[in-house]
Amino acid sequence: MAVSGGQALLNERVLASGLCVGCGACVGICPYYHYFDGKVMIMDPCRVESGRCFQVCPRAECEETDPGRGEETEYSGEIGPYRRVLMARAVDPDIRDRAQYGGAVSALLIHALEAGDIDCAVLTDAGGALAPDGKIVRRKEEVLACAGSRYSASGGLSALNRAVSSDETRIGVVGLPCQMEALARLGKTDPDGAERLAAVSVRIGLFCTWALDYRKLNRFLRDRLPGKTLKKYDIPPPPAEVFRVLMDDGWVDFPLSEIRPLVQKGCGLCCDMTAHRADISVGTVEGIESWNTVIVRTDAGAALVDSAIAKGRLETEELPEENLRHLKKAAANKRERGERASGDAGRSS
Amino acid sequence: MSMITHKTGRPAVLLQGNEAIARGALEAGVAFCAGYPGNPSSEIIETLAHAARDLPVYVEWSTNEKVALEAATAASFAGCRAIACMKQNGVNVASDFLTNLTLSGTKGGLVLVTCDDPGGISSTNEEDARWFARMAEIPLLEPATPREALLMTRRAFELSEEIKNVVMVRSVSRLSHTRASTRTGDLPGFDAAPRFDPRVPFHTFPVVPKHRERRKKLDTAVALSESFSLNRYAGPDRPELLVISSGCAWNYAQEAVEILELEQRVGILKLGTTWPLPADLIERYLLSCDRVLFAEDVDAFVEDGVKALAADMGERIGLKRFYGKASGHLPFCGELSPAHLLEALARILDLPAPDDAYRKEISEKVADAVPQREFGFCPGCPHRGTYFAIKTALAWDGRDGFVSGDIGCYTMGIWPTGFNQVKSVHAMGSGLGLACGYGKLTKFGFDQPVVTVCGDSTFFHAALPALVNARFNSADILLLVLDNSATAMTGFQPHPGTGFTASGDKTAPVDIEGLCRSLGVPVTVADPYRMAETARTLYGLMQESGPRVLVLRRKCALVQGREGGFPFRMRVAEDRCLGEACGCGRYCTRIFRCPGLVWDEASGKARIDEVICVGCGICADICPQDAIVREETGAGGAGPGNAVPTGEKEK
Repeated sequence: MAVSGGQALLNERVLASGLCVGCGACVGICPYYHYFDGKVMIMDPCRVESGRCFQVCPRAECEETDPGRGEETEYSGEIGPYRRVLMARAVDPDIRDRAQYGGAVSALLIHALEAGDIDCAVLTDAGGALAPDGKIVRRKEEVLACAGSRYSASGGLSALNRAVSSDETRIGVVGLPCQMEALARLGKTDPDGAERLAAVSVRIGLFCTWALDYRKLNRFLRDRLPGKTLKKYDIPPPPAEVFRVLMDDGWVDFPLSEIRPLVQKGCGLCCDMTAHRADISVGTVEGIESWNTVIVRTDAGAALVDSAIAKGRLETEELPEENLRHLKKAAANKRERGERASGDAGRSS
Repeated sequence: MSMITHKTGRPAVLLQGNEAIARGALEAGVAFCAGYPGNPSSEIIETLAHAARDLPVYVEWSTNEKVALEAATAASFAGCRAIACMKQNGVNVASDFLTNLTLSGTKGGLVLVTCDDPGGISSTNEEDARWFARMAEIPLLEPATPREALLMTRRAFELSEEIKNVVMVRSVSRLSHTRASTRTGDLPGFDAAPRFDPRVPFHTFPVVPKHRERRKKLDTAVALSESFSLNRYAGPDRPELLVISSGCAWNYAQEAVEILELEQRVGILKLGTTWPLPADLIERYLLSCDRVLFAEDVDAFVEDGVKALAADMGERIGLKRFYGKASGHLPFCGELSPAHLLEALARILDLPAPDDAYRKEISEKVADAVPQREFGFCPGCPHRGTYFAIKTALAWDGRDGFVSGDIGCYTMGIWPTGFNQVKSVHAMGSGLGLACGYGKLTKFGFDQPVVTVCGDSTFFHAALPALVNARFNSADILLLVLDNSATAMTGFQPHPGTGFTASGDKTAPVDIEGLCRSLGVPVTVADPYRMAETARTLYGLMQESGPRVLVLRRKCALVQGREGGFPFRMRVAEDRCLGEACGCGRYCTRIFRCPGLVWDEASGKARIDEVICVGCGICADICPQDAIVREETGAGGAGPGNAVPTGEKEK
């Protein structure tokens, strides 16, 4: 029995204190939580004393006296445990066109689906009238429709819970570091966490510096660009220091300093930039726009990457030493910021 | 054949108070009857509407009480006898017209019946409508029994014609809904020949002379009340205590005097004319006794009036000791009962406190036999789905939104059956009026979404002016018209949207959407049974501004039950039900709370109460485990307006 708590404690520690990052891990295992339009909320009071919602939450951190929890979050080095770090991109130019940067995630998933390594994948859709949301996909077209960066919480793991509840197995999951952390915790939840996690075949984590509060972003854009619809956004690598949004009539740039206040409060406590708990972590490569950085961490991750390379779906190159150094520096910076903020908030990680 | 349309009077007919009022009106030869439903008054118009099948009487449900009184008044102006019936709150609605009408005066006998609801048993207040008689300076009659209700209603028409003004008759719930053996009189020949005489206009000008004229009519009424046969006294010539009572409280006083065997010590003066008070009559009885107790329902109306008279008569009658609400011997609030009178009499006469050991014993014995019940929507009620969708959308929105409520079954949204979503309820149409105000507070940074609900009948009654106001002032309002195609709470009376009238005649239904659109207010229609979809629609509408209307359309479950029922037989798949465990926590019986779902302590699972469940099927959509299963029965069906729920799940 690792951790224990119910809705009241989760609300006190995470939701009411504004630390929820919207990963969606607590959504879809019961009727008491919903993810809707960029936010996770409590729908009704639950009186179950020890619930999976609390156990699975990557932000429901425990007191130091609470045994078992602290050791689960391990940081072996700045970018976590890994076998190798590569630069990779999709071979299929169609994928590269439609995805952001090198399209490595889409290529890996499409390969896994087509090779039959996984039956379905849990991704984050592009959103529309509402914020991006988790989606269960099975075909190339569906994967590509979800391609691209979101920069906001997506509640994506609610789709995983839906998939598992519908008896899906052999699921690929793509998510942010907090979502990978939630998956790690899922395995330890009572009574069926191990069983639920066993349905996940491969976990692809995405690099993340922070995510925006979608509703705040929406209000910001509505005030600044009234009457226009958001289609896509991007944060070009440093030193650009801008947040670019594609509205229906073209790209608009905002200085990052204007965007930072819209970052989710809970992201400030996060120490993990590169999704240490994933099988494979994917992000950008500083200064090389058409490629991705790929960190292969586990056997499952290595198997998928190797097979995608072997089948000619993914091409790779060595990540330049300079880039790896920068990546480690950036990851160390995030960890330092997160630890400082956690300390300020009277928490220990 | 109606109970009350017999031509020749009978010695004994079992009549409800409201039926007796209707019979009294018929015996007076009433030609025109109008009203708006509201407990405890509804049966008067219903009875008359039924009688109108056999008799040449016109009966209508009007859109509201003011229109009802106005329509009835037209018949009076044209020389016919007319009656307008309503509950106490309805008199408020009619009062603007009433206080002007009483200046112009009337022609054909015009009677306004108010049925008050002491204790607010089925009302938002326990207002005493008698003050309107005093304010409008018109005679007020208060019957105590069904027989008196018949006689006083009949007499009220004559009195109205004698003084050429409206006469008010006041009943209360206990009288309106009591049945008693009642002697009836003959029905007259109905010979209405309406004609408005253009040489005799009806208006309030010049105001002051018209007011003087009204006071003079009141003086005539006082004179007539002195000899009114239903003002009666029973008791010794010089009682130790005089009880002055009116209406149902007279019955309680009688009973208390009998139980305490005080017939030789206490006298009871029963007043049938409680405004204007018969001063001479009252003076005679005040001379007979120095101690007076008042027994009347709700306010100290007669009490205050008699005290004022006693002050004027002081030199002649001397100092009196008054007991009643002001002295604390009877409560100012709540409905009176014989027990209150027993206690007051014992206290005043220094008798031992009434022995209520037996009453206590009985109430303890039955306590276990009576199940604890809270207010709840019927199984299959569309309002449950509506409030579930509202609850969901407001939680999604997360800005502390709330519901501005209105009058109808859906008022119960203030309780757990409606997930406590409704945060204010006052008068008919007030939900939207309030919403108009919230909808302008946005200028000061108010950003809580306000959803206002009103039923289809309430929409026509009083919400329309507020909707026009919202359009006029561009208020940010979201009105949910809960269209269940019935005035359900008061007993399924027809209303402008139903397509038929009080007498059962077909009429073109007023189209709510068309009406809203004609005001330039965008309208969306959704199905309360499709809760997740409706919640999404609501959420979308909440993010917009300006006036918006969402019609939530689904027949009242009771109506649907009569029209073929519902398409499902429900069951709980026990192996899938999680019960108290994480993932459910008794969600269906603890949160959703349809009475058709019950918690089985023994098995630790939910189950369907097949006696209660009607088979609407919506609970299947809220079960996190798909353990609540719909089985098609082929009954009821998927006809228009009863489409089968899609089975869509909450995510």
